[in-house]
Amino acid sequence: MKRTKAGVLVLLCCVLLSGCLNNRYIAPVTAFQTSTTQTISVISAFYASRNSYETQLYLRDIAADPTLAVGTVDASGHPTPLGQPVFSPASIKARLDALSLVGVYASRLYALANTSAPADFATASTALGTSLTALNTTFQGLGASDATAASYVGPISSLVGTIGRMYLSGERDRLVKDAIQEGGPQVNIILSHIKDDMDKIFSVEVITGANQALATAVVAYNKDRAALTYDQRVARLAEISAVADAATSATASAPSKLVSSMMDANNALLKSAGASKQDKQMSLASLNDALGAWVSEIQTLATQIKPLVK
Amino acid sequence: MATAPIDTATLTTVINQCFSYAMDARVSPADQNSFLIEGKRLRGQLLNLLSAQFDNTTAQFAAATKSLTTVNTALSQSGTVLANTAQTLNNISSLIGNLDKLLAVATSFV
Repeated sequence: MKRTKAGVLVLLCCVLLSGCLNNRYIAPVTAFQTSTTQTISVISAFYASRNSYETQLYLRDIAADPTLAVGTVDASGHPTPLGQPVFSPASIKARLDALSLVGVYASRLYALANTSAPADFATASTALGTSLTALNTTFQGLGASDATAASYVGPISSLVGTIGRMYLSGERDRLVKDAIQEGGPQVNIILSHIKDDMDKIFSVEVITGANQALATAVVAYNKDRAALTYDQRVARLAEISAVADAATSATASAPSKLVSSMMDANNALLKSAGASKQDKQMSLASLNDALGAWVSEIQTLATQIKPLVK
Repeated sequence: MATAPIDTATLTTVINQCFSYAMDARVSPADQNSFLIEGKRLRGQLLNLLSAQFDNTTAQFAAATKSLTTVNTALSQSGTVLANTAQTLNNISSLIGNLDKLLAVATSFV
């Protein structure tokens, strides 16, 4: 009976230890999913607002210059942002869909890493499962002849269930690893396309747009200032100050930096999934660093992106 | 046929320079307004040029590229701009004309 108790203690230690090892993906995958959701929300809002940003810019120009009439086509025959979207709505939608797909990947990964094991371990059709179920049955069968056996039935049942969850966690670990190794490179490709968009198209759009808004406000103020009251001048200068802040934000390339942070975290996740046992600790530390940097940047970059979203 | 995009990075610099001169107190109010108007026209063209490809062997591509280089070089020297504002603005107008001609022969918008 003493041998049985010692065996149970050893088994308990093994279970606790294996639990620590098997759950290694839950925390980083959960952080990855949370940050992905936040990042996609910020970047999607940025994408979705590009045409309304251009319309606002156009209307700001009209408001600043009383000689300009508002219209859908300008004097040289070109459509204004009011008449035709500057960026193709279909192109914007395709980018939003790509981002959604990355979000679905992160959500599935999260669901896989956090899947609850079945409560009834007997359903696990494995060799390990069969032997542990037999152990459970053995303890239950000892009840009549072994007075203390009954007190083991509860913990053993619980332990068997726990081991079952650990076993399934071990299986889950492999599934999460496979999912990262299969999906991660595709996520990287999508993100690198989005980063290219940010660097080559939208960064240029927002920097020149913000500078245009600032120059328009400054020229209009200088033209009108003699006719303005003190309060009107204060109000117009406050508007210039806000536009100047937006121009500064525009040069910070916040959308591109946010996507870069996401790519760094995804690469670290990929590296961690592919790491050998001896490199696992170091790759997990790098993954935690990348996730930490991403989490700390999201709020700052979201604040910088806000003025660029109309 | 070899296709290439126009140098939008240089064009972006030119546009931002136009807006800077529009806010420069050393430039007369009339010229400030001209820099603002030309900057806006160039930006409108830029948004179309960002996704366009061109046959880089055409005369239109060569003229637009040469014009862009000339304007960019001139705008980067503030002393020259302030001393020859009218000439600078003329060069910018020429650039806008060349870019309009180039957009008319764009091979694709991707």
